[in-house]
Amino acid sequence: MVDGQELISARLGELGLATRREEEIVRELGDHLADHTAALEARGVAPDAALREALDSVSNWPELRQEILSVEAEEANMNYRTKVLWLPALGALTLSSGLLAIFQFLGLVPRFYWLSVTGVPLAVPFYFPWLIALPAIGAVAAFWSQRAGGKAVHRLLAALAPPISMLGTFLIGPFIGLLIYLLIPLFSDGAGHRRIRFPLYAPSMIGVFLMLASWVLLPAVGLLLGAAPFLRKPQAQG
Amino acid sequence: MIGINAKIKRGSGELAILALLNQEPLHGYEISKRIAQVTGGVLQFNLASLYPLLYRMEKRGWVKGKWEEARSGRQRRYYHLTPKGKRQLAPLRAEWGMFFQALHRIAGVTPAES
Repeated sequence: MVDGQELISARLGELGLATRREEEIVRELGDHLADHTAALEARGVAPDAALREALDSVSNWPELRQEILSVEAEEANMNYRTKVLWLPALGALTLSSGLLAIFQFLGLVPRFYWLSVTGVPLAVPFYFPWLIALPAIGAVAAFWSQRAGGKAVHRLLAALAPPISMLGTFLIGPFIGLLIYLLIPLFSDGAGHRRIRFPLYAPSMIGVFLMLASWVLLPAVGLLLGAAPFLRKPQAQG
Repeated sequence: MIGINAKIKRGSGELAILALLNQEPLHGYEISKRIAQVTGGVLQFNLASLYPLLYRMEKRGWVKGKWEEARSGRQRRYYHLTPKGKRQLAPLRAEWGMFFQALHRIAGVTPAES
């Protein structure tokens, strides 16, 4: 009986897959080769000729190798992104939100600074205990991504997940508010005048920017400070 | 015998494999032999064209490979149709049916006489 595995292994070379998976592929293809050769011999073809014909049925072994690797890589790529980006990002988000909840439970409230813009008072919140803790969270997320084999961009995005998600909220929120303002008739009185004005004027725009600074930009700086050492180091091996 | 263009063959391979495995689990060599037998040699899948296709279908969850004892007494990797793969049969059959209907309308394609 032909040793199909040895012949397949010699032609495909090392695939660089997990040992068990690679052995399984080589064994399966080797069995196919052996079955094909045996079928040809059963039809009266000489053993050498049968083996040659079975091997020649594959016209391009490097192409077969590439196709197999390509299929195996499809699943590997999805798992890689999950390990180096989504999980560390989720960890950063959970830690950040969890800390906020704990601080509030402990009675630590944001400090408000009042500004006057064209006579309109604006309250700008700063949550100092939370801001001080952010470098540690950024470091954890970047380190997690690095250990999983993430590149610098993965480590950066994982660390910045909390302000990125907050930015998304800030971008979507005004549109939802505008939609509610325009569509829901409850907000209009009998004369057709809306009782609640949609705040599209300068002080509120400045207020939005200050909120962005407070909840997006400053936290991003804090997280980046913590992540920075892990952005410079080479990615972890294996 | 007119050979089938490689791209057409690749596209039809999924349906052929699903249809065969819907009848019974088979290992790779049996799949290639059965396809050639049933189609009178018109569709042929060798080692190079069959296994990347099988592995891709396995990644999608349409088939599941398991090492089992063959009739010869040797261990072979048998492919079983999964419920997800079974659900693919009807839409794939419909898709190919529409395709051939369209070809018939535009190019007068009719089944070749055997």
